[in-house]
Amino acid sequence: MLDRSRAIIRKETRELLRDPVYLGMAFVIPVVLMLLFGYGLSMDVKHLPIAFVDHERSPHSRDYIDSFVNSDYFDFIGVLEGPAQAEHWMRSGRARVIIDIPPDFGRKLTSNKATTVGVTVDGSFPTRAGVIIAYVTIINAQTNERLLSRYVSRLGGSAQLFAPIQVNTSFWYNPTLESNNMIVPGMLVLILMLFPAILGALVVVREKESGTIFNLYASPVHRWEIILGKAVPYITVAFLDYLIIFAMSILLFQVRFTGSFWVLTSAALLYSICTIGVGLLFSIIMRTQLSAMLVTFLATMTPAFNYSGFLSPVSSMDAQGQFIAHLIPATYFMEVVRGVYLKGLGLGFFWPNLLALTTYTLVVYSLAWLFLNKRIR
Amino acid sequence: MWRRMVAMIRKEFQQLLHDWPILFILMWAFSGAIYVAGHAVRIEVNNYPTVILDLSRSVQSRELVSLIRAPYFKIVAYARNDDEVVQFLDTGKASLAVVIPPDFERRVAAGSGRFQIISDGTISQTSIMATSYIARIAGVYNFQLLTQRLGVTPRDLANIPQVDARIRVEYNPNVDNVWFISLLEMLNMITMVSMLLTAAAMVREKVYGTLEQLLVSPLRPIELFMAKIIPTVVIIMLLSLVSLFVIVQGVFHTPIRGSLLLFYSVMAIYVFSVSSFGLLVAVFARNLAQAMMTLFLILMPMMFLSGAFTPQESMAPWMQYASLISPMRYFMDFGYQVLFKGNGVAYVWHDVLGILVLGTLMFGLSVWRFRIELK
Repeated sequence: MLDRSRAIIRKETRELLRDPVYLGMAFVIPVVLMLLFGYGLSMDVKHLPIAFVDHERSPHSRDYIDSFVNSDYFDFIGVLEGPAQAEHWMRSGRARVIIDIPPDFGRKLTSNKATTVGVTVDGSFPTRAGVIIAYVTIINAQTNERLLSRYVSRLGGSAQLFAPIQVNTSFWYNPTLESNNMIVPGMLVLILMLFPAILGALVVVREKESGTIFNLYASPVHRWEIILGKAVPYITVAFLDYLIIFAMSILLFQVRFTGSFWVLTSAALLYSICTIGVGLLFSIIMRTQLSAMLVTFLATMTPAFNYSGFLSPVSSMDAQGQFIAHLIPATYFMEVVRGVYLKGLGLGFFWPNLLALTTYTLVVYSLAWLFLNKRIR
Repeated sequence: MWRRMVAMIRKEFQQLLHDWPILFILMWAFSGAIYVAGHAVRIEVNNYPTVILDLSRSVQSRELVSLIRAPYFKIVAYARNDDEVVQFLDTGKASLAVVIPPDFERRVAAGSGRFQIISDGTISQTSIMATSYIARIAGVYNFQLLTQRLGVTPRDLANIPQVDARIRVEYNPNVDNVWFISLLEMLNMITMVSMLLTAAAMVREKVYGTLEQLLVSPLRPIELFMAKIIPTVVIIMLLSLVSLFVIVQGVFHTPIRGSLLLFYSVMAIYVFSVSSFGLLVAVFARNLAQAMMTLFLILMPMMFLSGAFTPQESMAPWMQYASLISPMRYFMDFGYQVLFKGNGVAYVWHDVLGILVLGTLMFGLSVWRFRIELK
C-alpha cells in the first residue's frame, strides 16, 4: 500500500529535479529575501529630516533647535523663511517634521512664563509619524526638565523640591535591542508560511491543467496515497529551506539563540507540513494554476504579515484582530520561534501552540482528502 | 492593424470573463483582502499589554499607575509577585511590566523615588517607543509632584517656564493606520495582479501550443503584445475604482485629496509597464510554475523596497539606491502624494518620469526579446 505512495513520491521528486529552474527558485528566493531583510532593513527610524521656522532667532531659540539637532534621531536640514516654504517642504517630503518657534519664545521663558511651539508632522506614513511624535515629545520633555530645575533652584528651593523619580529600564529577551533579533526570526516564519504554500499550490492543479490527473484517477491509488505522495517531496524542500534559513540566522546574522534547536526544528517540521497542506488544499480546490496561486498568495501573505505578531504583539490587537490572528498558523509558530530564539523557553511553554498546529494540519489534510474527488462531476 | 488587434483583444476578454474563479479572486483581492489588511495594527504603541506589580500600594503608586492608560497602554493584569510578572512576559500576554518597589512612598517623600520597568525587547522598535512613553509619564508625574509641593494652582501654571509642544499631524490628524494600509494594499494589488495576470495569459498560449497558431496568423508581435496587455490594464482600472471608492473611501473613510484624473492616467502607464514586464518573464519561462516563481523573486523585493512596508528612512543606503530601479517605488510615492497629500504635477513629475522611463525600457526589452525567441 505504501508502495503506491512511494511510487508517486518518486515520480514527483523526479519531476522536481527535472525542472532545475523551478527547484532552484525554491531555494534562491528564501535566501534572497533573507539577505534583503537581514542586511537592508531595520525597524529603527532614524535620521528624520527636521526643519525649523525660527521667528525669534535668539540664543534661546537656537538652544532649543540644538536640542533636536544634537540627537541621533533627526537630521537638521535647515531654518526656513516662513510658512510658505514650510508648506512646500512638507508637501515635497523634504522635511518630515517642522517646528515653528514664536517671536516671544525666549522672552517668555526668561520672564518665567509658559510658551508654545508648533510642531507639524508629516502623517503620510503613520508609523513614521508615531516615531517622530515620540522623539519630539521626549526631547521637549528634557528641555522642560532643565527649565524646571533651573527655575526651582532660582526660587531658592532645596534640591529635594525637584528630585525627579528615576525609571530603571531593562530590556528582556533582546537586551541590545538589535532589530535583526526581531526581523530574522520573524522572516523565518513568514517565508515558511508563504513559500511552501505556493509550492504546494501548483502540485495537483498542474496535472489538472495538463490532463495527466486522469492517470491518477484511473489508477487504483487511494486519495490519501495521492496526497501523501504529492506532499512528501515538497515538505522535504520546505524543510531544507528551514535548515538554510536557520543556518543563515545563526552564522550570518548572529541572531541571539537561547533555546533548543530540537524544539525549534520539530515545530518547523510540523509547520512545513501544515503550510504545504494549505497549498495542496487550494491546489485541489482550484482548477487553474493561476487561480490556485493567487488564492494561496492572498490567503497566506497579507494575513501572515499583518496578523502573526511580526510587527506588533498579538495581545495589543482588538478582538477582531486577535480572532484573525488565531486563524492563521503563522501566529502559533511565531510564538514558538521567538520563544526559542530569544526567550529560551522550553517545550513546556509550547505545547498549546504545537497542539494548535497539529490540529490545524489535521484539518487541512482532511479537507484536502474530502475535496480530492476521483470522479469528475 | 487595428482590426486584428481588436479581434485578439476581444478573444482575451472572452477568455478572462469566462474564468469565473479568477474573476471572483480578483474581486476579493481588490475588496476583501484590502479590508482585512486595513484592520491590522502596525508598530505603533497602541493598547500595549502591560502588567503592574505594585508592592508599595500607596497613594503615590496609585497616582503613578493611573497615568499609565489608553490609548497607549492596556493594563492586562495586576501581578502579585515576581513569578507572575515573569510568566506574563514569557507567554507574551504582557510586553511591559511596571514594578513599583515597597518603599516607593517613603523614597518619593525623601526625593529619591524610583521604579522599574521591564520591557520585552523582542519587537525592538515598539519596545523603545513604549519605554519612552513611560519616561514621559514619569515626567508628567514629576511635574505633578512639584506643583503639589510648591502649592501651585492650575492658574499659576502659565507662570512656570515651560515649552508646550503642540503637535499637529498633517494629512492624517489621528495618525490612523487604516488610511495608510488600505491605500498601500491597493497599490500592492495593482502591481501584483498586473504582472501575474499578463504573464499567465502569455504562458498559457505557450503551454497549450496556441502560440504557434497566433504566430502563423497575420498578427504581428507588437500587436500580440498590446492585445495581451490592454485587457489587464482595463480590468485593473475597473477593479481599482471599486476598491478606491468602496473600500478605501467608503468603508475606511480615507480622504482622497488629489486629482483622480492625474492618478488614473499615470496608473494606466504604470500598469502598462508592469504588465509588459510580466510578459518579458513569460517569454523566458517554459511553464507557468517557472514564470510564477520568477515573478515572485522579482515582486517580493520590489514590494518591500518600495518604501511601503518601512519608510525609506529606515533602509540601508544601498537599499535606497537599489530601490531606484523599481518602478513600484515611484508608483508608491506618486500614489501617496497625489491621493493622500493632494499634490499636483509640480511635486510628482519625477515619479512620473521614473515610471515612464522604466516602463519604456521594460516594454522595449520584452518586445525585443520576444522577437529573438521566435527566430
